[in-house]
Amino acid sequence: MDERSIKRTLLSTSADEKRLYRTRIQKFRKSHTLYVILLASLALLQFIAIAFFTRGFLLTRQVLDDVAIKTAEYGKFDKAVVLIVDALRFDFVIPVDQDHQGYSGNFHNNIDVLYESMFADQGSSLLLKFIADAPTVTLQRLKGLTTGSLPTFIDAGSNFDGSVIEEDNLIKQMYEQGKQIYFAGDDTWESLFSPFLSPRSKYYESFNVWDLDTVDNGVISYFNEHLLETANRDWDVLIGHMLGVDHVGHKYGPNHFTMREKQLQVNDFLIKIKETIDDDTLLVIMGDHGMDHTGNHGGDSKDELESTLFLYSKRPNMWGLNDPSQYNTTDLGAYYREVNQIDLVPTLSILMGLPIPFNNLGWPIEEIATSSEERDLYARIALEQLELYKKTSNMVTNPEKSTMLENAWIEAMGNPSLGAAYQRQFLEVCKDLWTRFDYWSIGTGITLLTISLVLLLAITKLIPSIVVGQMVPEFVPWIVTMSLVSNACLHGLFYVFKQPAFLEDALWCSLLATAIGICVGCCIPVLDRYNLKWIFIRFLEDLSDYWSRIGALLLTLHAISFTSNSFTIWEDKIVSFLLITLGMLTLYEFVFLPKRQSTTALLTATISEKQGTSSGVCQSTANSDSLPLTRFARLLGLYHSIVLIVCTRLASTITICREEQGEYCVPTFTNKNNYSIWCMGLCLLVVALLPSCIKGYYNLSLSYQAAAPIWIDIFLKGVLFSNFIYWTLTSLENNITGLTWNVTIFKFTIARIIAGFSLIASNIGWMMGPLCVKLNVDNTDAKSHQATILGYANAYGAQFFLLVINAIMSIMLFNKPLAQLSLYLMCNQLLSILEIIDLLKLRENIIGPFALALLAYSQFFSTGHQATIPSVQWDVGFILSETVKFPFTHLPIVLNTFGPHIIVGLSVALLTLWKQQPDVLKPQTLLGRIVSNCGSLLVYNTVLCLSSFVWVTHFRRHLMVWKIFCPRYLFASMSLIAVQLVVTFGTVAFASGRIIRQINDIFWK
Amino acid sequence: MGVKKRATVKKTVSFSDDNTLTNRSNKKKHVDHDNPPVYVRKTLLTVPWHIIPLLYYYIYISDGFDSLKLLFALIPLQLAYLGIQFNKSTVYGNKILKLKVPLTLISLCATLLLTLPAVLIIILFGAPVTEKWKETWMLALHCCYLAHPAIYQVFNGDFKVGLWKKYFIMIVIGAWSSCVVIPLDWDRDWQAWPVPVVVGAYLGAFFGYSFGSYF
Repeated sequence: MDERSIKRTLLSTSADEKRLYRTRIQKFRKSHTLYVILLASLALLQFIAIAFFTRGFLLTRQVLDDVAIKTAEYGKFDKAVVLIVDALRFDFVIPVDQDHQGYSGNFHNNIDVLYESMFADQGSSLLLKFIADAPTVTLQRLKGLTTGSLPTFIDAGSNFDGSVIEEDNLIKQMYEQGKQIYFAGDDTWESLFSPFLSPRSKYYESFNVWDLDTVDNGVISYFNEHLLETANRDWDVLIGHMLGVDHVGHKYGPNHFTMREKQLQVNDFLIKIKETIDDDTLLVIMGDHGMDHTGNHGGDSKDELESTLFLYSKRPNMWGLNDPSQYNTTDLGAYYREVNQIDLVPTLSILMGLPIPFNNLGWPIEEIATSSEERDLYARIALEQLELYKKTSNMVTNPEKSTMLENAWIEAMGNPSLGAAYQRQFLEVCKDLWTRFDYWSIGTGITLLTISLVLLLAITKLIPSIVVGQMVPEFVPWIVTMSLVSNACLHGLFYVFKQPAFLEDALWCSLLATAIGICVGCCIPVLDRYNLKWIFIRFLEDLSDYWSRIGALLLTLHAISFTSNSFTIWEDKIVSFLLITLGMLTLYEFVFLPKRQSTTALLTATISEKQGTSSGVCQSTANSDSLPLTRFARLLGLYHSIVLIVCTRLASTITICREEQGEYCVPTFTNKNNYSIWCMGLCLLVVALLPSCIKGYYNLSLSYQAAAPIWIDIFLKGVLFSNFIYWTLTSLENNITGLTWNVTIFKFTIARIIAGFSLIASNIGWMMGPLCVKLNVDNTDAKSHQATILGYANAYGAQFFLLVINAIMSIMLFNKPLAQLSLYLMCNQLLSILEIIDLLKLRENIIGPFALALLAYSQFFSTGHQATIPSVQWDVGFILSETVKFPFTHLPIVLNTFGPHIIVGLSVALLTLWKQQPDVLKPQTLLGRIVSNCGSLLVYNTVLCLSSFVWVTHFRRHLMVWKIFCPRYLFASMSLIAVQLVVTFGTVAFASGRIIRQINDIFWK
Repeated sequence: MGVKKRATVKKTVSFSDDNTLTNRSNKKKHVDHDNPPVYVRKTLLTVPWHIIPLLYYYIYISDGFDSLKLLFALIPLQLAYLGIQFNKSTVYGNKILKLKVPLTLISLCATLLLTLPAVLIIILFGAPVTEKWKETWMLALHCCYLAHPAIYQVFNGDFKVGLWKKYFIMIVIGAWSSCVVIPLDWDRDWQAWPVPVVVGAYLGAFFGYSFGSYF
């Protein structure tokens, strides 16, 4: 029997109906396009918001890799001893009057060696107040102290975590000049400078703030060994970095007797060092930052910025001290002469006879010159270095400032005593460019994102989708016109008045104008019909039922977790906890079936009563559409809830711990586990299990027909198996050392075949419309024109999920074996959530998209990621190509990092389409509902992004901002962008329109 | 005029939904009246005062948050609470039943058995899988024995009576929400597993038993 002829006879109707159908589909096509444009412009609005915020928050500094070369002869010392006492605040080392209101015996007048020496042996000691730059964090300060520059979060061109400093710095210059550098203390130095330091250096862990003595004792014994108790000093530079004072501050705060003990210990140590150095050695003692009254630091308060610098030499009259009135220790040294921290770099360079590091912005300390000739020489050296840096970096673009600096430089070269003034001006200009947050941009970004959130909520959720469908033809022209109008206005304003000034150039101006245009253009049609009060009331009404409240609660909990660094650190556990909570709640629902008079459930129940029953399937017990649930449906729901809970718990055991989680987290996502035999065995199991699990879910609605077996049993299984071969080879490469034959080519071939198939071929195949229904004509008489259509009840869902399978196939390849196991669990979680949502009749509820969003986040963490930059799996970038080539390196990294988000972004449409019969809802309605659910998913991500914006701005002076909050905000922004792109262009534009048209072409009655 | 009339018609239509709902609930009350239900009297008697000193002992006096000693103190106090307070405010169809000793023992054993699923649930919620079994079990014991009066009443009456559910739920909510403090980096000894969750369960139980009869 020919299927097609049956279809024809079964579905044939009059020409009139056909024409009606044609016009309907044409209308659908048009409104679909408009929907896509609307969503895309909302996406554009969010992208602009993110761009503005990022521009204001992430200041970039241009780092030049040039290395300075020595041009003149200078230098007074061959050897140096440098001791950094962490958090040595200035008032710790000067005499403080006991009657002063800020006096405390615990931290004042304990370290007396420095000022006594300053005022006793005139000329060979120099004690100065040392002003640090914010952020007052050791890592950033060390960078400043050695490069002479002002570090920002992203130093363009170099890394911003604690890895080796690439740019020119003091330690590198010492090394280049052939000096032997010994180091003892804080292990931050190891990561920053290890290539330049002697292998005999000793590093101690700096992370454990509770340990007050290990580092200090280590430094003291190291100094004993190499300086104090030996004549054999085979080093040129000896550096120590003590952490005791800082740790006491963190642990107890400064006003504690432990601080006194610690300071006395430091004092004794300083006395000993001072006595033992020889005449050719320069002694430098300094703090890297201060501490506030609680003992913490990181911000820019006076107490945190003020530190100590002490220069000493046994030679008499080494320093040309200024007038004694400048060294005034009264009132906690408020009037004492101060120098900038970066000034140390040129000072030390000149004293040691080193070239001044290329990126330096500091100025040699005046007192190191004893005569005016010397002073002029040093000024010229510094001036030339600054000018060279300015010219090479080409950073001063503002013509006004540029000429001002130019003139100052020419004057200073004529009269070197004006050099310091030039340096101050230049530093001001640089600070302007680098270390000030641009609050206008930050504010604009936050405001735009808030508006986009409100619009998204209003358009996709609050206004009924039917009304939105009618409004869509109005939205698009308004948006376009308003964008043009606001562009014209703002550009005019910008060109004539140079206002708003923070925009700086025409590109940003048009971005802002477009954003305003989109906002206004969306608002006009909405406010034409509704007022704000109605929208607000509707919002509260939407939150009136139980499941919406649960959804809102989950989102709120997730979003407010960015208020604390601890919650942000433990976000992986929190997210899976929330998802399990949701699973438990649905479990409770199916077990006890509490009575909820939720309006949505009643509504869907009444709709479903009207649903046509043209196929026998939907009457089966499993698909009972009216509440209360049948016993079988409850059992089924119970099972799915348990699957969701157990899979989430299992997946959450896969974790790559972040550094801050410390001893409380044992990483399981390690190379050893990834490439172990048991893991590969499990992967092999997945090759068989994943297709059969999906098959099980398909069989629930009898949709394992026609295209489904081809896709699931052949495509998916085949790809998974070749994928398994690929990763087995990788694992072999990792485990077996003496592999004789080269598998690289073989691996590339497999990877490229899989990628090509899953990314291109299978999607083209999907576009052909692989139906998952089958005409069952076996038991019926052909002449009676009656047949059962198997899989009819899930015609939409089954076909749409094939697209999700395509995505899973490609994402699997770019994930490491343990992450593949996690993705296998994700498929089960995903399908179980869909079934649960279907059983509880929550298709229109926000809980569905929110559950999926939580799933995406929990899977992000369990596929071996964290919201930190080092945890990005850069190595997967080389699966498709050996060298960095644009799409082939970037695509795998994107698919690896945002894989779960992409899968969820696609399958959010399934909330509407899963178990959706073809002939119940009109194409328009269906599309409206899909857009509504997509909107909820976007709302979830937008709220997270907005929350991270607000909190990272609030914590901009927090100690952990660059380690915790800033990466989290970057991740939130990027996942919002990824979800936006997938949802708008993948789900709504590409997939939904196509599937709705295809299915309606066939079942169009 | 005509417009106004139409509007009033619409109003009655929209009210009709509500009417069915209120009718339904009225009916239910009627049904309840025929078969006198089990309920807990709204008295001060149900407030589990013993939980406050127990918590005080646990947090301030006990040596390193000794959960075991707390448990040994909890069980007799819970039994006393059941006998003196809770059972006396539970009404079975106009009657207050006497405490049955064998049933108490049976429910005690049942509670012990109930700790096993409780452990499973706690682990599913994210408790460590490979280690700290003892602590997790201890938490489960505390939660279950806190729920013991309700468990006794379940055995005493009909298994299907949903009245007791809220007592369990309150304990679970208390324990669930107290997880908040665990990830904070304050490095206090009371943040150790399972101390905050035990405290949360106690607080949840306190509120549950005190106000459970009101909603």
